[in-house]
Amino acid sequence: MIADILTGAIRSGTSVMIASQGELISERAGVINLGTEGSMLCGALGGFAVTVWTGNPWIGTLAGGICGLLISLIHAFLVLSCGANQLATGLTIMFFGMGVTAFFGKNFVSQQIVGFNPVPIPYLSDIPFIGKILFNHDPLTYLSLLLVPVLWYVIFRTRLGVILRAAGEREEVLFASGINPKLVRYLAVLAGGFLAGIGGAQLSVAYTHSWVENMVAGRGVVAVALVIFASWKPLKAMIGAYLFGAAQALQLTVQQQGLAISPYFLFMVPYVLTLVALLIVERRKQSQTPEALGKVLAGSS
Amino acid sequence: MSIAATITKDNKSFLARNQSWMIQSAAIIAPFIVFGIFLTFYEVNPIELYWSMVQTTFGNLYGFGEVLLKATPFILTGLAAALPAKAGLVNVGGEGQLAIGALFATWFAVFYLDTMPAMIGIPIMLLAGACGGAVWAGLVAVLKVKGKLNETITSVLLNYVAVFIVGFFVHGMLKDPNSFNWPFSPEIANTLRLPIINNTRLHVGFMIAIVLAIIVWFVLSKTRLGFKIRVLGSNRLAAERAGFQINKMYFWVLIAAGALAGIAGMIEIAGIEGRLRASVGTNFGYLGFLAAMMAWNHPLRLMASAFLLGMISVAGNKLEIFSGLPSSSVNILMALVLFFILGSGKLVKK
Amino acid sequence: MKTRNNGMKSMIVLVLALMIVVTGCSQPGSNASTSNGGNTNASDQSVSDVVAGLDSSAVGFIFVGTKDDYGYNQAAYLGSVAVEEAYPDLKVIRAENVPESAEAERVMEQMIQEGAKIIFPTSYGHLEPALNVAKRHPDVLFYHQGGLKTAENLGTYFGTIWEPVYLAGVAAGKMSETGKLGFIVSVPIPQVLLNINAFTLGAQSVNPDITTNVVFTGSWCDPGQQANAANSLIDAGVDLLTLHQDCMKTVVETAERSGIMTVGYHADANELAPNGWVTGSEWNWGDLFVDMVKVGTEGQFNGSKYDGKYRGTLADDVVKLSTFGANVPTDVQQYVEEQKAALLDGTLNPFAGPINDQSGSVRIEVDQVLSVEDLESTNYLVEGVIGTIPQ
Repeated sequence: MIADILTGAIRSGTSVMIASQGELISERAGVINLGTEGSMLCGALGGFAVTVWTGNPWIGTLAGGICGLLISLIHAFLVLSCGANQLATGLTIMFFGMGVTAFFGKNFVSQQIVGFNPVPIPYLSDIPFIGKILFNHDPLTYLSLLLVPVLWYVIFRTRLGVILRAAGEREEVLFASGINPKLVRYLAVLAGGFLAGIGGAQLSVAYTHSWVENMVAGRGVVAVALVIFASWKPLKAMIGAYLFGAAQALQLTVQQQGLAISPYFLFMVPYVLTLVALLIVERRKQSQTPEALGKVLAGSS
Repeated sequence: MSIAATITKDNKSFLARNQSWMIQSAAIIAPFIVFGIFLTFYEVNPIELYWSMVQTTFGNLYGFGEVLLKATPFILTGLAAALPAKAGLVNVGGEGQLAIGALFATWFAVFYLDTMPAMIGIPIMLLAGACGGAVWAGLVAVLKVKGKLNETITSVLLNYVAVFIVGFFVHGMLKDPNSFNWPFSPEIANTLRLPIINNTRLHVGFMIAIVLAIIVWFVLSKTRLGFKIRVLGSNRLAAERAGFQINKMYFWVLIAAGALAGIAGMIEIAGIEGRLRASVGTNFGYLGFLAAMMAWNHPLRLMASAFLLGMISVAGNKLEIFSGLPSSSVNILMALVLFFILGSGKLVKK
Repeated sequence: MKTRNNGMKSMIVLVLALMIVVTGCSQPGSNASTSNGGNTNASDQSVSDVVAGLDSSAVGFIFVGTKDDYGYNQAAYLGSVAVEEAYPDLKVIRAENVPESAEAERVMEQMIQEGAKIIFPTSYGHLEPALNVAKRHPDVLFYHQGGLKTAENLGTYFGTIWEPVYLAGVAAGKMSETGKLGFIVSVPIPQVLLNINAFTLGAQSVNPDITTNVVFTGSWCDPGQQANAANSLIDAGVDLLTLHQDCMKTVVETAERSGIMTVGYHADANELAPNGWVTGSEWNWGDLFVDMVKVGTEGQFNGSKYDGKYRGTLADDVVKLSTFGANVPTDVQQYVEEQKAALLDGTLNPFAGPINDQSGSVRIEVDQVLSVEDLESTNYLVEGVIGTIPQ
């Protein structure tokens, strides 16, 4: 049963995980993007649609990423160049993504695609317990697992990462070095949108092979919450996402055990868990917030 | 001051004031133009559509009533977003607060109030709805004040939880014994339904909404409390330095907002639906937020923007029946309106 | 502080006072009013003068979801297409994504304004709104899908889908090797529980020890949840999946990818699962709708077989068993056909007692015959089903 829950955690949590890694980049630079949900939806539809047209899920996924990026471009423009409130803009992007994908996605609802299938890695997937949990997933999931250490390295061990973090913490430093912090933030938001789009594409092209209106169902919002929970660290964000996935899987497993718990109560669990996790982490994290972000979250930006 | 200087000074401020108003109007009109262009690609004549929207709304009493019906919850959930916004908070939990308000209102109506006369039953139901919404917003408030969690994120997450809570109750304790086990509540008593105007479906809820909007406006602009709230919203540092009890203010503002959204929930049940379903008030919270933004969080202007949103909402179905375009295309229009408003924010001096 | 508290208190008092004044000054209103919603003519027609649906120039269909969902709404949509083709002079108006709330009233009113005198609200939750609109428009005929309450100008129709679901269960019982079946559903409403029971009973008629694992996803079509549910059931050892959802694609394809068999619902998805498809249950509304529109436009509704709760059966071809998959052996197909024949000629009763619920108490006695209302208000799951319903 534990193995099932853990496998389910990775299967269900991957799309959220990829999106939260992207949002991590954006928030490190000081911009919070609640429109991640919209980016994920556009990525899911874009990825699905292009896979239908080209028959190639890799191209489709790339297209999904680009769709997510384009949506986040609107967010970046409104927030960085027009000075709009970050949270309100993000929400608007969310509605916009929902409306646009519902509209343009109508023709794709019953289409079939050649999507990504789970690819068991030879030998490794035969290891008892771990093999099934880690080594029997689709290619995008494998890539996402690699994404985490890569991102950690970039953020904490390269100059690029320093620039990124400076944009969120001490933009004066960037000015002094002749780098425009606004540009850095733009790129960070776009990178976030790209990854959110990939996360959405993973959901449609790899996991479900379907497109249905509003199929992201709140994962984008959870991704944003998870980044805060994770204190803006890639590894913790990954764990948080898998926790969310585990809650979703747990809910299903519990139902099958025949325990007398109302399904509605179980549906709530992932969201309540996210809230509780946020609360627990909040105590310790005050000093770790990128300063620019702190202003946004406290409401003075 | 010399006369010449006074005249120049007045002229300048007159222009500046007009400029702001013009930009705000442009921000509302531009998206309709953009959407109109979008429609032409789908062979829908936008002028015809917009005109039919106006016709439906003002052409007969029924149409007008329908628009007001739609606008009513928007006004209330809009207030639920606008009031905290004046204090510097972004409350997007109108959705969940409405649902829990509807839940409380239905609970009271079904279990305690079915034999009461209207004059007692309806106000109690109203209070119950307000309490429900307040409780739900209270969660957001506590998490913000004690837990330091950002209210936007918590209120959105709680929206999802609220829907499941309502679902839990309509499948269980609130399930109608006479509806063959389908998950909705029993119908509330006739005496508890809000009075309606003949020849329409319009109920007096919209008057309640307008009255509340006026009250909120009055408090915000004419009382000392309102002044303090606005100071907190525009300059938190100054508020702190002036010794305001920030946390207490945040808390009560959110409670009030929740109560307003909860009243919207009660009105939804007592005015239109007559019973509680799991899907009560879907999207009303978000649309109210949109209305508040369109009105720059001003309670009186909120009534106008809610009315406009009501018109668009009603038109959505007409659009679909007319042209086969899905009613979700109207969401695109609404989002466009928001984009323009957000984009013009810096240009407008409040 | 004092100002604030006093301010709040007086506000509350003021508001309350206003409420009381406002509510006291008018009559209570609900759907019992005699207004007719904007219809400016014929406000004095007595009910006996009005023939609902007569000479309607348009027919309206409202769907709770989208028409391409490969499921429930698509079936209804195809029915509306049949009407369009059968009556080229009739305007067919459709509205998708109509929620099951008073919003539906507004959509129906709009269709009436467009000239529709026959309306098909196709989802269960559209019943109450439809009844309200029906009261206001005695000259409009309503054919509601799945309801259990009727009116002078509102008849309900449905299909005895549990018959093919039972037969599909028989096929599943024959094909399953692990003896564990999986059923993915949304919410525990009676029609869903009835299907789960029928399916399980069918499978148990072949293998009494067979079990059905039920998973509630809480949504009628959420591919992410469906994939989760399918995977979780497969992990639990299930080797055949079926479902009661509005859309089928994700579950069928996920099962096919994992080498699991499928039994479909709402539509025939044989081509989505060439290896694992067993059979399924589907609707065949087309001919029924065409006939219902004919009866309506000719003003023959009152006293017709549709005036009331009409249930099209397997015998009427309103519900059908889907085609068998390529990998279903001939002897299994034959067995199922035999059971079908017995069902059609009345010798086989899927719900023949004694039938126990999950706690072991008897729900259907020996020789007890259940009415349509009894079946369509099922609120329990039979023995052999694993999964809890909220009480």
